[in-house]
Amino acid sequence: MKRLVLVRREQPLRGGQPLSFLIGLLVALLAGILLLVASGHNPIEIYERLFNSSVGSSNAWAKTLNRAVPLGLAGLAVAVAGSMGLWNIGAEGQILAGAMMAAWMAQIFDTLSSPILIPIMLIASILGGALLASGPGIARAQIGVNEIITTLMLNEVALRLLQWLIHGPWKDPESRGFPLAPLLADEAKLPKLFGRAHWGVIIAFLVIALFGFVVSRTAWGYELKVAGSSGATARYAGISLNKKIITVMVLSGGIAGLAGGIELSGTSDRIVEGVSGGYGFAGIIVAALALMRPSGVAAVALIFGAVQVGGLSIQTLGVSSSVSTILQALILFGAIGAGVFNRYSLKSVKREKKGGST
Amino acid sequence: MTSDSPTAIELVDIWKRFPGVVANAGATLSVKKGTIHAVLGENGAGKSTLMNILSGVYRPDEGQVRINGNQHWFHSPSDALTSGIGMVHQEFRLVPSFTVAENVVLGASEKIIRRSLIEKEVEQIAQQFGLAIDPTRPVWQLSMGERQRVEILKTLWRKAQILILDEPTAVLTPAEADELGNVLRRMAEDGRTVVFISHKLHEVTAFCDEATVLRGGKTVASSLKVEEVNESDLAGLMVGSSPVISERPPHQEPGEAMLTIEELGTLDDRFLPAVKNLDLTVKSGEIVGIAGVSGNGQREMAQAIAGLRPITSGKITISGKDLTNAPPSERFTAGLGYVPEDRLGVGLAPRLTVIENAILRCYRNLRKSIFLVSEQAVNYCKEIIDRFGVRTGPIDDPIAGLSGGNLQRLLVGRELSGNPKVVLAAQPTRGLDVQGVKAIQDLLIAERAEGVAVLLISEDLDELLTLSDRLLVMHEGEIVKEFDPTTAHRHEIGAAMAGKRDES
Repeated sequence: MKRLVLVRREQPLRGGQPLSFLIGLLVALLAGILLLVASGHNPIEIYERLFNSSVGSSNAWAKTLNRAVPLGLAGLAVAVAGSMGLWNIGAEGQILAGAMMAAWMAQIFDTLSSPILIPIMLIASILGGALLASGPGIARAQIGVNEIITTLMLNEVALRLLQWLIHGPWKDPESRGFPLAPLLADEAKLPKLFGRAHWGVIIAFLVIALFGFVVSRTAWGYELKVAGSSGATARYAGISLNKKIITVMVLSGGIAGLAGGIELSGTSDRIVEGVSGGYGFAGIIVAALALMRPSGVAAVALIFGAVQVGGLSIQTLGVSSSVSTILQALILFGAIGAGVFNRYSLKSVKREKKGGST
Repeated sequence: MTSDSPTAIELVDIWKRFPGVVANAGATLSVKKGTIHAVLGENGAGKSTLMNILSGVYRPDEGQVRINGNQHWFHSPSDALTSGIGMVHQEFRLVPSFTVAENVVLGASEKIIRRSLIEKEVEQIAQQFGLAIDPTRPVWQLSMGERQRVEILKTLWRKAQILILDEPTAVLTPAEADELGNVLRRMAEDGRTVVFISHKLHEVTAFCDEATVLRGGKTVASSLKVEEVNESDLAGLMVGSSPVISERPPHQEPGEAMLTIEELGTLDDRFLPAVKNLDLTVKSGEIVGIAGVSGNGQREMAQAIAGLRPITSGKITISGKDLTNAPPSERFTAGLGYVPEDRLGVGLAPRLTVIENAILRCYRNLRKSIFLVSEQAVNYCKEIIDRFGVRTGPIDDPIAGLSGGNLQRLLVGRELSGNPKVVLAAQPTRGLDVQGVKAIQDLLIAERAEGVAVLLISEDLDELLTLSDRLLVMHEGEIVKEFDPTTAHRHEIGAAMAGKRDES
């Protein structure tokens, strides 16, 4: 009797990434055909829409890119913390904190023009996210409180604060009872790059590139990797862990906060309850699929964004949201998960006997 | 006495592959019932893998496991235990806050456990085999030797007929090791079968009836009668050629004091005193050896000297410079090379690449403003690889692929590349194969010849006797005795290692 086992390759397959991506995508799409046929749809029609709506036109690309921005930044936030072995589960709350800070700045400085106001908003959003993450960072560094718990719980704190704001002080008098903050002034909106794609695309790309570079090329990034690999080794090398934990958590929170600021100013245009859009949690998946490497986040976020945009669009063809979500998961899992074969190979192993004694 | 006994264990043509390694390549083992059987081999010969297959931890890729003539396919250690196979691992699996009796029954699926009954049972088994232990004491209070007895009791209480001990004497004093030998003998006389993994040859000839030798995952000699072979035969089989061990370096007059430790005190992880008022001086061009049973403060002392453990009292001076409160990196700059006991996880970062590990100590000098200069780092790394003979693939591959010996060469090489004045080496050759041991020992001898002060902490008495100019014995955080390695007797050293336990 034979069985298949995954065997770790001695060396990762160099340059295997694009190939595994294509094969994985293909397998996922084939599996998706079964799903679609079983749920009574025409797979060709659905796939055509899926493709056209996400990457088939400049309009589609704009939507995909706009979605990739918060996904990528949230993913980067998780990955930066992750390269030091820290888990920032609070990106969702930090996005909210960033969005609230940006909205607040837009209210205070409502007389300023775009080129001044928008940088103020974005810097404030970074500070907002950083502030929210600093508590868990300090608690972890000073007394060893698990940052997973604290960041996760602060999500709730940020959400409640936002709910209070949109039900109370920030409630739009013209919203006819809906809990919404007023629309941003045009001066507070990120300018468009092309179509509906806004400048946040460029900002996010630069931030991801910057961190990718910092982690791989600087002494600081090197220390981060050492600390992420083993805390004891870091102490041995004379790297101060406590300071680094706080710095990394603050940076991670700041990046997530920036995602909130950009999302507010570029896409949602007002504070509503769903302004964070689940990107903070999706960011954990993005970071995990990018193997916690900041440099891998951009590509994963782009694929993730495209799949989400396409997945929403096929729902207008009558595909139920559950089937669409399964399809999205299949594609993500196939396209990115296939990367595992760059590091593992599939082997068939002979197995003589199953069960206990004979 | 045993030639007509039935065969208890039969492992036939066992293959087990791990990524990049074939741990067992057709290994066989045949053990007769009621005997003590030694499994010998160097580190990496596949002993532990073979025993883990026998005890159900691993499943073989190919091959058969037969117990008392019946073929088995174990899915888990508890599966194997059901068939009467118990294993005592090198690292004990005990709950420190539980008592001896509680640890013994832990995991046994009885719904209601009566404490007094269990304690009585444990007591009875302990007496039967001469395992002196109080079943009501919590495990954290016990010495390593006593903890090992708990592990043995765990298997005996579960009615194991076959007992596997993985390097059981590594944590014991010589006296405790002798005692263990008696316990094992009693178990064999009671009809149990004992498999004894070791690479200490004198123990094999002292305790065991038969020996099987593994080399490179294969069985090179099976079921040799121990009475009919001598230690050097066995050693020859283990290494394939005659064993290579460094020779004692020629006498040289030591220079001035390079490392001075005065009244050092430090705490262990439980915040109990681990090192007490320790004074120590290592001079230029001398190797000072620290002997002692592990857990007597050697580890904590080394960490305190390296700056990785806060000290409660004392002063540490390296070549005249007071470094008592200096961070680890400053000590390295001041001339302290430190080879820590835990290679992966302290000395080396397991997930990083060869080059990233090579520059761990000096990356601060390899940068231009905030950037690491990759060219300098590459040169630095290649220099270590060339000078210290590290066999490695591409330098930007993770170190996970390196063998134990090459990891240690990389680590020792890195620590020596800073031209240190003092080298602190904790268990530098533990777990290495013979070539690796010799390479590391030769490096330390070469450093000594160049006037470096070497503080060598080791559990290998032969190594200490060969390399040291002075041999200090540590017990319960104190230096209890100093020996001249050229004249010292093993038994005196062993008595000193057992420390106060002899007097009480």
